[in-house]
Amino acid sequence: MNDNIKSLKNTLSNQTNPIHFSAQGIMKKFGGIDALNNINFELNRGEVMGLVGDNGAGKSTLMKAISGAQLCDSGSFFIDGKEVKITSPQEASLQGIQIVYQDLALCENLDVTANLFLGNEIRYFDNLKIIPKALKPLNHLSMEEQTKAALTKLKVHTITSMRTKIGFLSGGQRQSIAIARAILSDSSIVLLDEPTAALGVSQTKEVLELVKRLRETNHAVVLISHNLNNIFEVCDRITVMRQGENIGTFSAKNTTPDQIVSYITRGK
Amino acid sequence: MLKNMQEKIGYLRETQIGSFIPVLLALIAIWVYFGIVEPVFLSPRNFYFLFMQSAVVGTLAVGVTLVLLMGDIDLSIATVAGVCAAIVAVLSTNMGISAPIACLAGLGAGAVLGGIMGTLIAYFRIPSFVVTLAGLLGFQGLMMKILGIHGAINVRDPFIRGLTTTTLPDSIGLILAAIGVIIFGLAIWNNRRARSAKNLDNDLLYLSIIKFIFFSTLIITATLILNAYRGVPLTIIILLSITGFLGWLTTSTSYGRAVFAVGGNLESARRVGISIEFMRISAFALVGFMAAVGGIIGASRYASVSFNAFAGGPLLLEAIGAAVIGGTSLFGGRGSVWNAILGALVIGSLGNGLDLAGAKAADKLMFSGAILLIAVTLDAVTRGGVSRK
Repeated sequence: MNDNIKSLKNTLSNQTNPIHFSAQGIMKKFGGIDALNNINFELNRGEVMGLVGDNGAGKSTLMKAISGAQLCDSGSFFIDGKEVKITSPQEASLQGIQIVYQDLALCENLDVTANLFLGNEIRYFDNLKIIPKALKPLNHLSMEEQTKAALTKLKVHTITSMRTKIGFLSGGQRQSIAIARAILSDSSIVLLDEPTAALGVSQTKEVLELVKRLRETNHAVVLISHNLNNIFEVCDRITVMRQGENIGTFSAKNTTPDQIVSYITRGK
Repeated sequence: MLKNMQEKIGYLRETQIGSFIPVLLALIAIWVYFGIVEPVFLSPRNFYFLFMQSAVVGTLAVGVTLVLLMGDIDLSIATVAGVCAAIVAVLSTNMGISAPIACLAGLGAGAVLGGIMGTLIAYFRIPSFVVTLAGLLGFQGLMMKILGIHGAINVRDPFIRGLTTTTLPDSIGLILAAIGVIIFGLAIWNNRRARSAKNLDNDLLYLSIIKFIFFSTLIITATLILNAYRGVPLTIIILLSITGFLGWLTTSTSYGRAVFAVGGNLESARRVGISIEFMRISAFALVGFMAAVGGIIGASRYASVSFNAFAGGPLLLEAIGAAVIGGTSLFGGRGSVWNAILGALVIGSLGNGLDLAGAKAADKLMFSGAILLIAVTLDAVTRGGVSRK
């Protein structure tokens, strides 16, 4: 085990593009089935990693393990070469890992600003310990200002008022809000679970542009998708999973979609 | 351009003021109708009694709005109000304990009863409908036990009676109204200035002005009308203060955000780390507290506490009806405590006007049902923009 870490550190110092995040030897069993079998997985900053595989290949299980939503049986996580424990979504969030689920988990009855800051509001008198946190007055304007700044940074221009209820927005706009929420809290790793699955053509394009922008802002991005066109459009590298195993990681430039399909279906 | 207009109207509907409009129209329609049919309906004296009659329903409606916002319901508010009123009556009339302390005990009892039901809902995952239905039945029995064999206790204590018989001197009423108008105006102006300073989009200027003029006129007119009879009742001030606090709590604190989040998307609320258990328990405790306030106001108004005035009558359905007529969704996530007061006025006006017109109880019930249906339909139609949950 110790040798493992040492060798990892060595590879770290040798590489030009330092590994930002890595998962080593991740195991997870559901009953007798190996959902994740000795998975090794690594991410660099400023890259988009595609994660592909058939249904039940273990993509979502791996994402849940990384985001703390589901504990794995064994294995370890490293951020910038330092081992970190990820035991809960809160823990993962503190380490800078954010996941955007397929169902987005936005509140349609709240506006853009409220959704971005939900559970993490900016309040007045935050230093006064006497008043319970939940009863401190909200700093509405400051939150709205930061929301606007965050969306401008992501170049989301279709949302004109931060006071629009989410229920009024399109699927693509909602995806943008969910992604903006993920990077608002100073996160460095963003996991996107099928962000384009329910979207039309132009909205898919909108979201893929957003994913590229996350790369420009030096985030490490994981993109799960069944759509290989989307994967090849934005990803730098592609990791293929099959029956709970990591088949391999391939550079998008030197691989063809046909090869990836072959890896997904036949493992070779 | 057209799309822009549509968006603006959409926002308007979703703002605090926009959501007032349907219930306000209903209220105006009722007032105009009864004003024509029974001119005495629009007399200052009748308005005074209208406000006083609506106070108990209004208090309970404001309270129950809190749990409706979270997608829960509380069917026990009227009986909790009855139990608390009975406790206050027994303590002050039968045991001679000083009235303010008796009232505090009643308020505390309301919060505890609500909190217990909230705990059952939060930790045992029993639907609130079932728990509060059990509460409705159980507390009816509890109220009978507390009231004893006579089934009613008179309340003659001057402090408790004073809560609904006291009116403010004309001048103080006007000063309070003026202060209210000035604070309201300053708040709007400050907000506009701060928004422009931070380069955020503002409401259209004329909308802000209309909003200000409308509510200022409303406050001043109401004060003048009440002054023309006896003056502004203390009850109204109490009710408005509590509603003001709950309005602030639900719209301007993290607690309020959590209330709306739980009602809008429970899973989302859980994922961002909101404690659903805490929210449920505290909200039901607050509703219990509001029920106790309503119970004390009722005891004060009727000068007695009897089983029929609370648990046996239509109080529960009127209160929930008032909240819904005010535009609060039964499915959670949408509504406002202020609208509940308007809803209570609609129900109160209807009862009052039909009484004046000499209508029978049967007609009153059918009219109330029709108004509730119209209000809900109107609400459903005007909110087409937001996906209906």
